[in-house]
Amino acid sequence: MRLGMVIDLDRCIGCRSCAVACKSHNAQPPGTWWNRVFTPGASFHQAAVGKDGDLQMEYLPVSCQMCDNPACQKVCPSGATYTDERGVVLIDYERCIGCRYCIAACPYGVRQYNWEDSKKAKERAGYEKGYEYGYPADCRDKDGRLVYTPNRPVGVVEKCTFCAQYTSSGEQPACVKGCPGKVRIFGDLDDPSSEVSKLVRKRQTVRLKEELGTSPKVFYLAATKPIR
Amino acid sequence: MKKSNILLGLAGSLILISLVAWGYQIYNGLIVTNMRNSFSWGLYIATFAFFVGVAAGGLIVSSTVYLFNIEKLKPFTRIASLSAFASILGAGAMILPDMGRVDRIWNIFVYPNFRSPLVWDVIVISAYLLITFLSVYVQLLPDRKKEGSRFLNGWTKAHSQEEVEAFSKKWSKRIALVGLPVAILIHTVTALIFATQASRGWWNTAVLPPDFVSVAVASGTALVLVIALLAVGKEQFDQHKGAFQIMALIVAGSLVVHFFFVSVDLIIHGWWGSTEAKEILSLIFGHYRYLYATELLFPAFTMVLFFTEKGKRSYRVLMIGSVLLFIGVFAHRLMLMFPAFNAIPLSLSIPGAGIESWAYPVALGQLQEGMPVFVSSWAYTPTLVEYGVTLLPFGLVLFVVTAALKMYNFLPQKRSM
Repeated sequence: MRLGMVIDLDRCIGCRSCAVACKSHNAQPPGTWWNRVFTPGASFHQAAVGKDGDLQMEYLPVSCQMCDNPACQKVCPSGATYTDERGVVLIDYERCIGCRYCIAACPYGVRQYNWEDSKKAKERAGYEKGYEYGYPADCRDKDGRLVYTPNRPVGVVEKCTFCAQYTSSGEQPACVKGCPGKVRIFGDLDDPSSEVSKLVRKRQTVRLKEELGTSPKVFYLAATKPIR
Repeated sequence: MKKSNILLGLAGSLILISLVAWGYQIYNGLIVTNMRNSFSWGLYIATFAFFVGVAAGGLIVSSTVYLFNIEKLKPFTRIASLSAFASILGAGAMILPDMGRVDRIWNIFVYPNFRSPLVWDVIVISAYLLITFLSVYVQLLPDRKKEGSRFLNGWTKAHSQEEVEAFSKKWSKRIALVGLPVAILIHTVTALIFATQASRGWWNTAVLPPDFVSVAVASGTALVLVIALLAVGKEQFDQHKGAFQIMALIVAGSLVVHFFFVSVDLIIHGWWGSTEAKEILSLIFGHYRYLYATELLFPAFTMVLFFTEKGKRSYRVLMIGSVLLFIGVFAHRLMLMFPAFNAIPLSLSIPGAGIESWAYPVALGQLQEGMPVFVSSWAYTPTLVEYGVTLLPFGLVLFVVTAALKMYNFLPQKRSM
């Protein structure tokens, strides 16, 4: 099994619902965003870019690209970052030593550090005391490695897990379920009959920073907007 | 000696301040530094790389003695080994506060990932620490036997003074020769931590490891030179003039090689003119021009000084030149971080809008009023806590060198060997 995702940019309306669903379902502390949506070229989101009055506005959601050749995993000195049997790149929150080598290695800027205790960060940001959000229970892989916990320990790196707490029992990731435009398609790239496999096979796809050889398992269908 | 007591006191207070700062950081998290997600390594890693660099000198000087038979340097092999041991100890200590979970550091040894250059570095640095310690140890054996010192010296009891001296001579040479490749390796591997990363154009070059070696030979030899000058003093300067001139020549010569590598690197970064390369060049010659000028001009000045006949013969010039070099090399280490982290790897071109390079914003990892959460560059300047923690290796090196010089005879003129 090789879990992957196809993101159809033609359908994306830049609403950032996926980012919000991701943030709340995964209990991300203030200032941490596993999933981002921006308007390429613009200095702020939802602003058109262009020249001579010809404007355009496309959106690009970016979260962990789930590389088949993940630099973050290769640099990790303690093996805290690993690829599970479903092809998902995960972080063991109990093994990470907080060296942040993976943050330097990742070309996509998706890795986030717990610069302080997440409970303290929430308090400092002014969240109501005792307010907890996100999936409430720990999630461990079959070897017992902690890949999700609602309050991350201080000093460890975190990132998108393809919602390990949901997808390990066959459900869809929060961003896929939360997208109003059905932009995201999630599935097994090894299964030729899956929708993701069909799209990758039949449509022209783009992967981010493909020239670096990271072999991401997140594919983008370019915004085509045919004019002829 | 009163002077050494003052220095020991100073070293002790540096260590104490750094430990207090480190404790504060452990209690609050790395939020007390100015590093954030988009700029995730800063002063600590730069200082670590600096101390790895100056740790080269010891084995370079002592192996030069044996490999090229340069007898003039022989009186300084002890000081050289000592400076190497102290520096690599400082480097190793500096890496610890950078770990967000230093309490789990054992995970590197229990579950090592041998594809990680960081694991290679742990191995070679540990080896170098051991080798430089043994180097100091065997060289001091005869003196310590004479004094009747027992600590770690018990086994020499059954042997005569001559036997111990022969052993010391033989093994000093062997350790120096085994140590030389390890000395080269600590720089190569430390550089590989950076150079392997294709995500950072500023690091991702095969010239980085050899350049690290050349800078290390220069700055490591300069450290031996400074400690030797201080230990010998102005009075006995003339007596060892020859040795100092050779060291100055090693420094200047390796700086020539360094500047050669720098030029080649800049040409390759600039010639093709890719947008990524242009961004890096605009950072080093634009925003960080003063720091980059320090990195280039200070060592260049030292190089010229150390090549001149007059410079090589002057105590003051050798001293000033070495200090300028240290400042330059420290700037070099800082400049590893600034252009690398302020050129966001995920940059896109939007041809329709005439945009060649647009950096995809990165979440900082902190929510604070008046500050954006998403940034495409981060004006990193170390916080007071970071400066405090960074005193740790400086204190350790000062402490080890001063204590060793006080306890044992590292000074050539007093030696009976």
